[in-house]
Amino acid sequence: MSNSFKFICIAAVIIIPGSLSGFASEYMLGIGFTLFMYIALAQSWIILSGMTGYISLGHVVFFGSGAYVFVLIWGLVPVWLGVALSGLVVGFGAIIIGYPVLRVRGPYFVILSFGLAELVKNLVLINEARMYVSLRPVFGAPPLAQLYIAMLVLAVGATVLTFWIRRSRFGAGLRSIREDEWAAETIGVPVARLKLMAFALSGVVPAMVGAIFIMRSGIFQPGDAFNPIVSFTIVTMVIIGGSDDAPGPLLGVAFLVILQELLWANWPEIYMIILGALLIGFVLFAPGGIFSWLSKNISRGNKNAA
Amino acid sequence: MDILLSPQLLAAALITGVLYALISLGLNLIYGTMRLLNVAHGDLVMIGAYVAFMAFSLFNVGPLISMFAAAIICGGLGWLAYRSVLQNLLANSEILARLEENSLLLFFGISVVVQNLVTLFFTADRQGYEYLSAIVEIADVRLTGARLAVLVVGSVISIVAVLYLRFSLFGLAMNALIQNRDASAVVGINVDRVQMYSLVIGFGITGLAGALISVLEPITPVMGFPYTMSAFVVIILGGLGNLWGGFLAGLLLGFLEIFGVAVTGPEWRSVLVYGIFIGILIFRPQGLLGHGRIAR
Repeated sequence: MSNSFKFICIAAVIIIPGSLSGFASEYMLGIGFTLFMYIALAQSWIILSGMTGYISLGHVVFFGSGAYVFVLIWGLVPVWLGVALSGLVVGFGAIIIGYPVLRVRGPYFVILSFGLAELVKNLVLINEARMYVSLRPVFGAPPLAQLYIAMLVLAVGATVLTFWIRRSRFGAGLRSIREDEWAAETIGVPVARLKLMAFALSGVVPAMVGAIFIMRSGIFQPGDAFNPIVSFTIVTMVIIGGSDDAPGPLLGVAFLVILQELLWANWPEIYMIILGALLIGFVLFAPGGIFSWLSKNISRGNKNAA
Repeated sequence: MDILLSPQLLAAALITGVLYALISLGLNLIYGTMRLLNVAHGDLVMIGAYVAFMAFSLFNVGPLISMFAAAIICGGLGWLAYRSVLQNLLANSEILARLEENSLLLFFGISVVVQNLVTLFFTADRQGYEYLSAIVEIADVRLTGARLAVLVVGSVISIVAVLYLRFSLFGLAMNALIQNRDASAVVGINVDRVQMYSLVIGFGITGLAGALISVLEPITPVMGFPYTMSAFVVIILGGLGNLWGGFLAGLLLGFLEIFGVAVTGPEWRSVLVYGIFIGILIFRPQGLLGHGRIAR
């Protein structure tokens, strides 16, 4: 594919669903918004966890922190500058905490990532209590149609980013960390720097997503913004979709967003039970996810044909 | 500073510490022998608590008796989990290569399913019951009878368990497994059986602790999670697979938590536990008592 063709493809992916914002119903836009939100979140998770194998169960920490930074500067700066600033602040914060956190490896990192999200949530709760704020409304946010387009741009941006990293030298370095970190370091891969870059990159996107999400929900509450269910949903989406590459999670996201739409409002317990059961099933029977299962079977089919 | 010397606080710290020691002992057995990261561990506490609650409200049986039922039920769940899934998991080389990550995701899924099933059956409301609520006074320390009972029973059971696992033949076999799985198979230890009993005992002890906890705090479907976190803090503090170290670390965490909260305030409780946890992981991942090498 030539570069200009790729560019046209990307433009089409933005313009076609983007033009829907003109006439689609509020409800449809809401579903689209959620879909794009999780696509962006899942892609950003893959940059760190999918490629390096540093599985994060606390990805919501970036989402919530971004939302928090955004409500703190709400009204002080123009809206879209605020969104960008949230991403920058959280990305910068990720570089600072990433340095000690990424020294912890394997299963310890997984538990640490979860603990970190809970720690930040509790610190935000304490800070809010100290400032005598129980909930923060966000008044005068842009209409849903605009937020929908912003989320679409983020989703496409995150997908392109993951796609590009996966095929870059940077991505090859990240995957060498997953396969064998000691060996990678020995042959001269700058392991520490690559991990830190991936950590920061995988934090910027969810922070901006969090900022936009807060405009949609209209209110900031630490319990919602740092809800562990969000982390859990992201992990399940990627495990179901599978693969460390960009196309995988699209399948998982689409499937779970539909499920969420049908069940979350009325039967949250059933939704969570199905989510948990799916995670168990895929870990046990299809650790590569739908995508790798499909591609394995398709390539086998092709070989047979030849 | 007076507050730090109060015997009242000391008693509270001992109670919390003993419970942490008991719960993390269970987690330690499971991690030590099989390298399974059981993040659903706290949910066994929750199940034990619901067993005690049901026993009390349906049959008027107190937790000091129903704790054995809780232990048997949770132990049975351990047997079921081992025979249905974990046995195959531990035999599958593809999964074994990344066993810790995979088991973590697996138990995470199990935890979510269990919590939500319990919510469906019992609702998310807080439950509780009155048991031995009269105040007992011993040497200036005022405790409810229930808390005193928890302290005594918890101490006895955790000490007996640690001694048994240290000196009995089965305990020795289990220690061998913790040290080196392949080598213990070579010297004739029935690895499969020891693994299964570790899981049954580990789950059972935790369920029993849950029954004790049911008299101390409100019972909810999500009550287990803080205990999962605390148990991981404890076994990392004490050194993974080190039972005696874990016992001491359990007491230590109880003291840190109770005295820390007394100094700062209740809203800092979670921050303290997670803060200690993150600090330990970053600065001493081999545990306080551990040596230079990280156990893998």
